[in-house]
Amino acid sequence: MKSKFRWIALLIMLLTGTALLTTGQPVQAAKQSTLKIGMEANYPPYNWTQTNANNGAVPIEGSRQYANGYDVKIAKRIGQQLHRKVVVVKTEWDGLLPALTSGKIDLIIAGMSPTAARRKAINFSQPYRKSTFVIITNKNSKYARAKKLSDFKGAKLTAQQGTLHYGLIKQLPGAKRENAMRDFSAMRQSLTAGTINGYVAEDTEYESFKTANRNITAINLNKMSGFHVNPDEAEVSIGVKKGNDQLLTAVNKVLAGISNHQRQQMMSAAVKQQPQIKTKHTNWFINMMHRYGGMILGGVGMTILLALVGTLAGFIIGLLVSIVRTMPDPTKTGNRWLLNFCKWLLAVYVEVFRGTPMMVQAAVIYYGIAQFWHVNLNRTIAALVIVSINTGAYLAEVIRGGIIATPQGQFEAASALGMTHNQQMWHIILPQAIKNCLPSITNEFIVNIKDTSVLSIISVSELFFVGTTIASQSFQFFQTYFVISMIYLIMTFTITRIFNLIEKKLAGSRNYNLMANQVQVGTPQDGEANN
Amino acid sequence: MTDEILRLQHLQKSYGDHQVLRDISFGIKQGEITTIIGPSGGGKSTTLRCINLLEQPTGGEIEVHGENILAAGYNLNAYRAKVGMVFQQFDLFENKNVLQNCMIGQELVLKRSKAEAKQIAMHNLEEVGMAPFINATPQQLSGGQQQRVAIARAISMNPEVLLFDEPTSALDPEMVGEVLAVMKKLAETGLTMVIVTHEIGFAKSISDRILFIADGVIAEQGTPAEILDHPQNEKTQKFLHNFRQNAF
Ligand SMILES: Nc1ncnc2c1ncn2[C@@H]1O[C@H](COP(=O)(O)OP(=O)(O)O)[C@@H](O)[C@H]1O
Ligand SMILES: [Mg+2]
Repeated sequence: MKSKFRWIALLIMLLTGTALLTTGQPVQAAKQSTLKIGMEANYPPYNWTQTNANNGAVPIEGSRQYANGYDVKIAKRIGQQLHRKVVVVKTEWDGLLPALTSGKIDLIIAGMSPTAARRKAINFSQPYRKSTFVIITNKNSKYARAKKLSDFKGAKLTAQQGTLHYGLIKQLPGAKRENAMRDFSAMRQSLTAGTINGYVAEDTEYESFKTANRNITAINLNKMSGFHVNPDEAEVSIGVKKGNDQLLTAVNKVLAGISNHQRQQMMSAAVKQQPQIKTKHTNWFINMMHRYGGMILGGVGMTILLALVGTLAGFIIGLLVSIVRTMPDPTKTGNRWLLNFCKWLLAVYVEVFRGTPMMVQAAVIYYGIAQFWHVNLNRTIAALVIVSINTGAYLAEVIRGGIIATPQGQFEAASALGMTHNQQMWHIILPQAIKNCLPSITNEFIVNIKDTSVLSIISVSELFFVGTTIASQSFQFFQTYFVISMIYLIMTFTITRIFNLIEKKLAGSRNYNLMANQVQVGTPQDGEANN
Repeated sequence: MTDEILRLQHLQKSYGDHQVLRDISFGIKQGEITTIIGPSGGGKSTTLRCINLLEQPTGGEIEVHGENILAAGYNLNAYRAKVGMVFQQFDLFENKNVLQNCMIGQELVLKRSKAEAKQIAMHNLEEVGMAPFINATPQQLSGGQQQRVAIARAISMNPEVLLFDEPTSALDPEMVGEVLAVMKKLAETGLTMVIVTHEIGFAKSISDRILFIADGVIAEQGTPAEILDHPQNEKTQKFLHNFRQNAF
């Protein structure tokens, strides 16, 4: 079970925590008929993503995919008894708590342990599973015969980053604690490759890994003398929003009606049903495309949509901001004060959005809006808004620089013709400034293609998010990320070429046609005025 | 003073505590060619730039047909359209071709139709000998050609007064003649012009009147013969002396 607690979750809770105190009972009530369950859908056998509805899988909100697993089976029991339709909201681990406190989901059923830190933010039900901790190692390793904690002396061990498992290694005297890893698939790879001797996990991880690799074994830690785990952390519970006592009581009632034997059966079924590595084709690439081609294409589409709309909208925002910021002072004092105030606000906007990571902006905006205004933004729309505002802040400075860099003579010549400031800007200055900024705008577009990957924090299924899902299902880490990186490269390369063409077009032809009927090319009455 | 279309009264201009123009007063009559000469840094450009309000004067008055345009509420953009300017560095719009450079002001400021603007622009481009180049962009033209287009751009606005700030100073010597020829032709049409120039010979042949500006004041003024052949002021004498020596 996972006890990850990363800084982003903390930050968002700090930012949104105050709203909790002030607003009392928010959102819900509107859609009583569905029961929204938050989970990663990426943590088998508790929960995973699949492309069909087999084995009683439940649809994932806003996608054509389905979730299944032990958590989903539990969730369905709850839904049945509460007469509510279960919908899974696929959410990154770090986004689960804020999603719950902001009312985007009703319950967290995600293999989550009710740690003291989390109890401060949300309530937990009675445990729906208690687990056994094991060291997973190779059958032929000398640690496979360990009987007591000190038998792991000298073993290179690891566990999942940010989890309680990692801390448990300290209880094994003399064991070498290697760097923690991102997820189980990475640990499986490392064990197979021999870079570690074993890793700490639950018995369920052993059950599922066993089906893929017959050469491994698990050594039960719970039975060894001196091994101690806080019961709170050795259990997984369902997260319920604070103050929602009615739902909490109902959930506990349902859980009390599921016997230990039934729980064991559900877990065994989940272990059997979880995604297997089936190889129909011998070529891993064809195999990957066959299984995940649709998902990858969807990810590419989403990434391009985000980058394209974000860059275009960001360009318009940047243009407007830079126009206001380069306005000359009006003569009336009141207007001048107003304009300077606007300029100041825009300067703050630019500084704030250039000075903070887009990942944090996404989290704050997405969860913040839900918390403060009780508006449940569509994920894709939220992502589009975030990329646009972020890009706008960068391009505002780029275009402002372009305006300032336009030769003073261009302004003066336009003034001398009697053009107003607006006419000068739109007809003379901006066309030149934008043309000069085009390389920077292209660059921003390319940066957007790559940087939208951080939007996985709000679970937008862009290319990187899709890649992570595929990698953890197929365990083909290198292959998956290699394919993903190639796709990124193809996209950025293509865009660079397209913009180069546009730039060439804008630069215009290097030749001009002399007007055919005008023969005279030289000077009129040359020399007449020469002294 | 009814025949004066423009009059500067005790015009002053300071940048911070640096007083560039101390007291400039003169009138411009319809159809008159006024040439301004003087040492570098004396305030010639600043005088021109104050006339079309690229710089805001810090004292004095600018009267147009007897009305002070520095008074509050005067429509400055309409006034600027009536006072044309030709710059030392040409300053053609780099995002427009030759024809568009001559049309844009007419369309935006004078609200002329595209067809009318084009007809007027073509006529003036022919006058300056640049009609064959209407599709060229400024970067594709020589300095002399650019300056002739800039003149066509200015006269397409039908200004009451046309200001020239050293129009040939940035040109290679072999191109000076073509621009001066165009200016001479313009002068013959009766256009009112104020010219800052170092082309003394040209000034002598074209001017009705010459002003000598040094240290922010008009040190001396009169007919070309008075100023150039019999200068009274010591500064004028020295300036012309140096000038003739350098130009052998
Ligand atoms: N924007 C400005 N700020 C400060 N001083 C200026 C500015 N423009 C011109 N000056 C000063 O004003 C004086 C007159 O300049 P200018 O009118 O360009 O002279 P001229 O055209 O006769 O050579 C010079 O001493 C110059 O340094
Ligand atoms: Mg000058």
